[in-house]
Amino acid sequence: MKEKLAGIVGSLTADYADLRFEENRKTRISYKGDQLVEVASYETSGGHVRAYADGGKAVASFSDPSRAGAMAEAVAASAALAGSRRAKPLRLADAPVVTESFPIRSEHDLRQVSFQEKLDLTTHYSEMILAADDIATAETNYDEFVSRRIFVNSEGSVVEYEIVLANILGFIVSKRGNVMQRVRFAFGGNEDFSRIRGRESDLEGRIRTAQELLDATPAKAGLFPVILDPSESGVFIHEAFGHLSEADGLQNNPAFREKLQLGAELGRPLLNVYDDPSLPDHPGSYVIDDEGVRGVRTELITEGILTGRMHSRETAAEFDEPLSGNMRAAEAHNTPVVRMSNIGIVPGTSSFDEMVASIDKGYYLVGAKGGQTSGDQFTFGAQWGYVIENGRLGTMVRDINMSGGLFATLQGISMVGSETEGSERGGCGKAGQTNRLSGKNTPPIKIDKVTIGGV
Amino acid sequence: MHQLIERARDSVDQAELYWKQTHSIDVSYQNNQLQEIAENDLSSVAVRVIHEGRLGSTFAVNPDQDGLIEQAKTAASKGDQATFSFAPAADYPAVEGVNPKSAALTSVDLVDLCESTLDSIRSRRDDLALEVTAAVEEASLRVETTEGAEGSHESAETQIVISAPIKGAGIGIYKANASTSPFSTPHDLIDEFLEWYGWTEKTSTPATGRLPVIFAPESSFLYLLPLWAGLEGGAQEKRTSPLTDRLEEQILSERLSVFEDPISPEGFGARPFDDEGVPCAKRAVIENGVLRSFLLDQRTASALQKTSTGNAAKRELFGGGTETKPAPWPIRWHLEPGDQPYRDLIAGLREGLLVYYGMGFHSGNYPQGQFSIQAIGFHIQQGEVVGRLENTMISANIYEDFKNIRAVSAERGPSLGFLNVQAPYVLVDSLQVAGA
Repeated sequence: MKEKLAGIVGSLTADYADLRFEENRKTRISYKGDQLVEVASYETSGGHVRAYADGGKAVASFSDPSRAGAMAEAVAASAALAGSRRAKPLRLADAPVVTESFPIRSEHDLRQVSFQEKLDLTTHYSEMILAADDIATAETNYDEFVSRRIFVNSEGSVVEYEIVLANILGFIVSKRGNVMQRVRFAFGGNEDFSRIRGRESDLEGRIRTAQELLDATPAKAGLFPVILDPSESGVFIHEAFGHLSEADGLQNNPAFREKLQLGAELGRPLLNVYDDPSLPDHPGSYVIDDEGVRGVRTELITEGILTGRMHSRETAAEFDEPLSGNMRAAEAHNTPVVRMSNIGIVPGTSSFDEMVASIDKGYYLVGAKGGQTSGDQFTFGAQWGYVIENGRLGTMVRDINMSGGLFATLQGISMVGSETEGSERGGCGKAGQTNRLSGKNTPPIKIDKVTIGGV
Repeated sequence: MHQLIERARDSVDQAELYWKQTHSIDVSYQNNQLQEIAENDLSSVAVRVIHEGRLGSTFAVNPDQDGLIEQAKTAASKGDQATFSFAPAADYPAVEGVNPKSAALTSVDLVDLCESTLDSIRSRRDDLALEVTAAVEEASLRVETTEGAEGSHESAETQIVISAPIKGAGIGIYKANASTSPFSTPHDLIDEFLEWYGWTEKTSTPATGRLPVIFAPESSFLYLLPLWAGLEGGAQEKRTSPLTDRLEEQILSERLSVFEDPISPEGFGARPFDDEGVPCAKRAVIENGVLRSFLLDQRTASALQKTSTGNAAKRELFGGGTETKPAPWPIRWHLEPGDQPYRDLIAGLREGLLVYYGMGFHSGNYPQGQFSIQAIGFHIQQGEVVGRLENTMISANIYEDFKNIRAVSAERGPSLGFLNVQAPYVLVDSLQVAGA
């Protein structure tokens, strides 16, 4: 297969071409309430081809491998058409030719675990939740993705690599009278099955939270200082800042390129942010990206100053900045786009107690609940939180969403906690694809002012 | 009848084949330059079987792949008891077929459309980092079951999107339209895009408090997705919906009527059957604020001892596709229009918001009808738009706040993403706003 694919890209009339072919095995086990609504384990395959010609670019996806040659020809012709309509040619930064294989090996490799054990474990967690008091329903899913990928390009790179990950994930719905609350859980995140086994006490904690939330009061709307727990600070830095450090989003936005030039002062000196695909045991770790470029750590913010960003070969050439190896495609039919690997905040010096003591009236927000960003505007939720009054933690609150503008909010980070915590689940949406490999490694942070939208 | 279904009759109790093939071309201009031409040629298959009373499924690229029924049987051996049957034989309604002019569109045609659109905008305003995308997708869908359903539908849809980042903001103004026919230069869309862009020059943040809010069609997903979550059969089965047992009750304002309308020629995305091969038909979901029907697929219908409403779709909140389990979802919703132009709704407000997008929807407790989002839109004072909203959140519970709707507009348009909807502008009497 490798030789055949290399022959196809080598024979195209284009300045550059690459082709990625994937064979993906997916296993899904899904409980809705006490019903096992899905059990599936299957393989799919497909490919994706890109070409640059005369300064233009075209891409294509195909399901049938016998169509690879025809689709590649069509893409080369489309790239030439695109080039003929562009005034400013697209270029690619030089990248080393790679001819290596990068298999994934792990002591507790999920591929060595029987399907029956995966099913039994999912059933066990589902039953644990449903047996608890005040639980109306739950969803418990096992989601496994094993991808074997071949990448070839017209420069001679031939790379074989793997992506292997699994999660147990879902949500718990508690109900009493007319009040209903939902709490998420997710364990795992990579090839190591030991991250999924034996998580009963963590799950019990989540069930307890779902029960306690029934007695919580809705958060009040307004502007408040907040402390974000590591899961929330991870979503904040991912949504609010991380996406704006992905260079493909900036490439064609002149106003933002101007604002986000390297050297721009974005935060106070206590703020240090990085992206690092080499962190061991994190969901966003990998060796090589879907453009055949090795992933490297990038210092994004150093002592409050913008010092780097994440790139493709095209954006690295456009910005004249170093390659970072952040081009990722979720699945066979997806075009790779620039994405975070593991985004992190370097721990600071503040203890949690010091952070709480510094707030007269505000909130401590816990548990990521997803977020969204558009340009410099971001919004994200918290699964639950606590009122802080006169420097002390108070009652539990729920129904919390917050929003703000990136630049003011980054400047508002006034304390950084001393201990980081990693995330266990990816799941970042961009360009119509959901990247399961997206990690976070962050300490708690204090932000002086955030808009909370209560109910 | 596909041979996979023929063969399955001998080895399983029941079988279902879902086979989707698409060919699409997308041309994308960014910052006024052609960024990318993308072409996709994809095929995907889902097979479900009921074997010895248990349900199993598998997926593949095409139905001729070896061993699909065996794979699904293996999954069924671990699966749960099937509580429903696959769709029986049915007569499907006639819907609009493929417009051959759309099916014949090439990348050159789409490049030309993008360029004529860009030229038209730039002749009136040349300082914007314009993004224009034009796309065509031809699709062929087959759904067949051993119980006799045999649906086959071909479609071709075109789409154009115009957007530009707002200077100094980063968020953008988007205007989009979709059709079954090829587009020529979309002058109406361009007029509206430029008018709205003009409203973004200044920023304006309302004070925290309760204010009237106009939801533009683009933002209708903000109240329709919570409504979907309340209406879908799974939530009735688990009795977790605020709407459970409330058929024929007034649940929203009498000014709001929502019809499931998958087959009329109006708009795009018409289809004769759902993703389980059950016929689609027009019916009232909410009529003058009264709850008339839920959304059911084969599984939830069986659990509730009803029949499917033809609402099975391989969709989930963000995306979905062949590998997604079918579940109840709006196929194509049409909201009844009112009789006032939307500009009159704006003119009638002393202070309020016009919202065309909301960020952070999925972080809220939407299954209970709530949303709390960053409002993207405009601030209205003394009947006029005074600037774009900045740092403004709105929160609502649709089952409380949407009981008080002052007016709906005569104009209708599509929602952004998520849903196939034609919705009017909806003026809600007052919502909680968190601003300055």
